Amino acid sequence: MGDADSFRMRMEGVRYRYPRAGSDALSGIDLEFEQGRMYAVLGRNGSGKSTLARCLNGLLVPTVGRVTVGGLDSADGASGLEIRRNVAMVFQNPDAQMIASSVEEEVAFGPENLGLEPALIRGRVDRAMDLVGIRELARRQPRKLSQGQKQLVAVAGALAMEPRFIVSDESTSMLDHDARERVLELFGRLRDDGLGIVHVTHFLEEALLADTVVILEDGVVADEGAPADVLSSPDEVRGLGLRPLEVTVVIRELATLGHRVPAGVLDIEELLSWLNA
Amino acid sequence: MVGSDITIGQYLSAETALHSADPRLKIAATVSAMILVFTYEGWGLVAFTGMMLVILLAVRLPLMPLLKSLRAVWVIVVLTFLLQLFLTPGEVLWQWGFLSVTDTGLMNGVVFSARIILLVVLLGALTMTTPPLKLADGMQSLLRPLKYLAVPVSRVATVVSITLMFIPNVLEQSRKVIRSQMARGADFESANLLRRVKDTVPVLVPLFVKVFHDSDELAVAMYARSYAGGEGRTRLYPMKAGSMEVLFTIAFVVACIALSFL
Amino acid sequence: MAERLTLEEVSYSYPLPGREDLPALDGISLAVEPGEVLCVAGANGSGKSTLAQVCAGLLAPTAGSMGYGGEKIEGRRRLLSFRRKVGLLFQNAEDQLFADTVFEDVAFGPRNHGLKGEELETRVASAAGHAGIDLDELGGRSPFSLSEGEKRRVALAGVLALDPEVLVLDEPFIGLDFDNGERLKGVLGAYREERGASVVIVTHELADAWSLADRFVLLDGGRCAAVEEKSELVRGDIELAGLGMRLPQWGALARGLIRCGVAVADPSDPVVLARAMAERRRASDGR
Ligand SMILES: Nc1ncnc2c1ncn2[C@@H]1O[C@H](COP(=O)(O)OP(=O)(O)OP(=O)(O)O)[C@@H](O)[C@H]1O
Ligand SMILES: Nc1ncnc2c1ncn2[C@@H]1O[C@H](COP(=O)(O)OP(=O)(O)OP(=O)(O)O)[C@@H](O)[C@H]1O
Ligand SMILES: [Mg+2]
Ligand SMILES: [Mg+2]
Repeated sequence: MGDADSFRMRMEGVRYRYPRAGSDALSGIDLEFEQGRMYAVLGRNGSGKSTLARCLNGLLVPTVGRVTVGGLDSADGASGLEIRRNVAMVFQNPDAQMIASSVEEEVAFGPENLGLEPALIRGRVDRAMDLVGIRELARRQPRKLSQGQKQLVAVAGALAMEPRFIVSDESTSMLDHDARERVLELFGRLRDDGLGIVHVTHFLEEALLADTVVILEDGVVADEGAPADVLSSPDEVRGLGLRPLEVTVVIRELATLGHRVPAGVLDIEELLSWLNA
Repeated sequence: MVGSDITIGQYLSAETALHSADPRLKIAATVSAMILVFTYEGWGLVAFTGMMLVILLAVRLPLMPLLKSLRAVWVIVVLTFLLQLFLTPGEVLWQWGFLSVTDTGLMNGVVFSARIILLVVLLGALTMTTPPLKLADGMQSLLRPLKYLAVPVSRVATVVSITLMFIPNVLEQSRKVIRSQMARGADFESANLLRRVKDTVPVLVPLFVKVFHDSDELAVAMYARSYAGGEGRTRLYPMKAGSMEVLFTIAFVVACIALSFL
Repeated sequence: MAERLTLEEVSYSYPLPGREDLPALDGISLAVEPGEVLCVAGANGSGKSTLAQVCAGLLAPTAGSMGYGGEKIEGRRRLLSFRRKVGLLFQNAEDQLFADTVFEDVAFGPRNHGLKGEELETRVASAAGHAGIDLDELGGRSPFSLSEGEKRRVALAGVLALDPEVLVLDEPFIGLDFDNGERLKGVLGAYREERGASVVIVTHELADAWSLADRFVLLDGGRCAAVEEKSELVRGDIELAGLGMRLPQWGALARGLIRCGVAVADPSDPVVLARAMAERRRASDGR
C-alpha cells in the first residue's frame, strides 16, 4: 500500500443501476476523494447520495466504470476486505446496522474482525465510546436504544475501526444539538489528523464545515467546489433543492426593503451587530 | 404489548452464570443433552427435568420467558400427545367409539411430549443466555477441526450466524408488522379467535419480505465492518473456559448419560 | 374535528427481563387541545418516541391514565376506537412499512377503515400527493427498494391516508430534503385548518416545528421540563442548552431584536423579522 498522500478513493465514469430498476441511480460520476479532507455530499431525496456512499467502500460495485480505493479496484473480489478495512461506513438507518448484543461489543465488532489483541480492542472501544459520549450505554442492548442513541453507537463503531476514510451517510440526522456538535467537531479533528471524511447531509451548516462540497442531482454531480463558491447564493442553493441559511434569507428580504447588508455576514450574531452599527 | 409474548430464540440481556459461560461449553452441553433426551424414559425424564430445574433456579435465570417460549410449540406438543395416546397399540384402558387409549399410548404420549418440551427448554436456555454472534463464534471454534476435512468452516459459520440472527429477527419483525398494522386500524387483541387467525394472514406474507430484507441489511452491515466469517477474528471478551465451567460441563454430560440408563 | 387528548401522570418503563425496568417516561401530564399543533422536543433518549407511542395508544402507560374527549381510555373497545382516531408516524420508516408495493402500504389503513374502490384510490392518491410521492413512478415499487427519504414519505402518506383526528409524527422532518420538508409544513398547516385535527410533532430540533407549533413540550430525562409558547422561548424563560437543544435561528434573531427594543409580532416569519430590522435601521439612520 502506498503512503498516505497517494491513498485516494477515485470514481471513474461510475454508473450504477439497481437490479430490476428502470433507470440509473448514478449516471456517470467522476470524483476523487483525498485523505485529510472533508467532503460534504448534498442533494435531494433520491439523487443518489446513499448509492454513491455504498459504492465507495465496495458494498455496491458500479455497473459501468470503476471505483478504486488506494489503487485497489472494488470490482476485484480479492481486494474487497482490504477496501472495507480502510473505508468505514455509517449507514443512513442506524437500526439496520446493530449486530452485537451489547453496545461495547457492537463498537468492538469492527476491531474484532481486524484480529486485534483484546487489550487493543478494549482501548479502541473505550476511546470511541468516550469520543461520541456513549460510555454509560456500554452494557445496554443496541437494539433497545432510542434512534439517536443508535446513531451514536454506529458512529463509534466506525471510529473504532480506525480507518483511512469514514463515509457517513447522514449520520447526524437524528442527533440532538450537543451530540451533533460533538460528532462534527470530531470529524473536523480526524480530518486534521489526516483522515478523509465523506459526509452526506441535508444541513447547509454542516456542509460549510467541509473543504469540498459535492452536489448530486439525478445521479450526476451538479456542482462541486469550495463551500463558499458553491453555496454562496441563496437562489442557487434553493435551485438545488437545499435549505438556504436563515441569515441569507433575511438579508435578501432586507434587500427588497432597500437595505444592503455587507457581504460576509454569515450568522445571526453578525447580522445583529450590523443592525446596531 | 401484543407480540411481545413470543420469546423463542430471543437473547435476554442479563448477568447470570450461564450468560458468562463459554459458548463452546454451552453448545457442547446443550447438543449432548438434546441427543440424550431421546433415550430417556419415565424416571429418566423426571430426573432430567428435576436437574434442569435445579440448574436454572440456581443460576437465577428468569423462568417466565422460557415458559412463554413453549407457547410457540404447544400445538405440536398437544398433537404429539394425542397421536401417541390414540394410535399406540397395547392394553386398552379406555374405549370410546373407534378411539381407544392404551397404557403404552398414555405412557408414550407423556414421554414424547415431555421430550419436545425439554428440547425447547434446552434450546431456549442456550439462546436466551448466548447472543447469536457468540453462538456463531462458538460454533466456528468447535467446527475448526473440520477444516482438515476441507469443510469451509468460516463460510459455514457465516451462514450459521446469519441464520441464528434470523430467528430472533423473525420475532422482532413480526412484532413490528403487528404494531404497524395495529397503529393503522387492525385489531389484534380481539377475543374472537377467528378474527385473530384471519388477522395473522396479512402479517405472514410481509413478514417474509421484511425478514429477508432485514437479514440482507444485517449481512451487509457485518460485511461492511470487515466480517469475513470469523476467520482470524479476535474478541473483546475472548472465549475462555474456566476450570470450574469445564468441570461442571463434564459433570452435566456424565449425569445426562447416566440418566439414560434409568 | 378532534377532541381533547389528556395524559395524567403518565409513566412508562421498558421491561428489561432479568434486570430492573428502564423508566422512559416519568409522571407526564399534558393536554393536546383540539386543532392545536403541539411540539414535543428533547434530547436523544429523553423519551420523545416513547411518549409518541403512548399518545397513539400503542404503548400502555405503566402508570397514570389517558383520556380522549373527556372519556377515560381504558378497556379494549375504548382503546381500539381511540387508536382509530390517531395516526402515528414511526421514527424509523422501516418499522412502519410492510406491504409489497408502495400503493398497498399506503392503502392499508384506509382499507381497514372500510374504504373500497374509487374512494380508496382517491384517498391514497391525495395522501401520496401530500407526502410528495409520485404514485405513477413509485406506486408499484417495493417500499424497501426506495431511498431513505422516499421511504419516510411513503410512511407519511400511510399515516395521512388514515385521515386521523390526532396526528402524531415522530421526527417527520428527518431525512427530508428542503422542498419536501416545506411541503410537509404546508400540508400540516392546512390539515389542521381544514380538518380541525390536532397535530403532535415530535422532534429533537425545535427549528423543525418553529413555524407550525403553538406550544412546545420540553422533555428532559423522561420528565416534562416545561411547556412553553414561542414567545416564552424567545424571551428565554427556560435554559434550552441544559436540555440539549438550542433556539432556532429565527428565534435567536427575534430575541436579538427584542433585546434592541424592537417588537416582533411573529418570531418565525422571515418577512416580519426583516421588516422589523428595516424599521430599526431606518430609525437609527434617521437619528
Ligand atoms: N425498546 C426499548 N427497550 C428498552 N429501552 C428502550 C427501548 N426504546 C427506548 N428505550 C430507552 O428509553 C429511553 C427513551 O427512549 P426514546 O426512544 O423514547 O427516546 P427519544 O427521546 O425518542 O430519543 P431519540 O431522539 O434518540 O429518538 C432511552 O433511554 C432509551 O434508551
Ligand atoms: N434497493 C434499491 N432498489 C432499486 N432502486 C433503489 C434502491 N435503493 C435506491 N434506489 C433508487 O435509487 C435512487 C437513488 O437512491 P439513493 O438511496 O442513493 O438516494 P439518496 O440520495 O440517498 O436519497 P435520500 O436523501 O432519500 O436518502 C432513488 O431513485 C431510489 O429510488
Ligand atoms: Mg440516502
Ligand atoms: Mg425517538
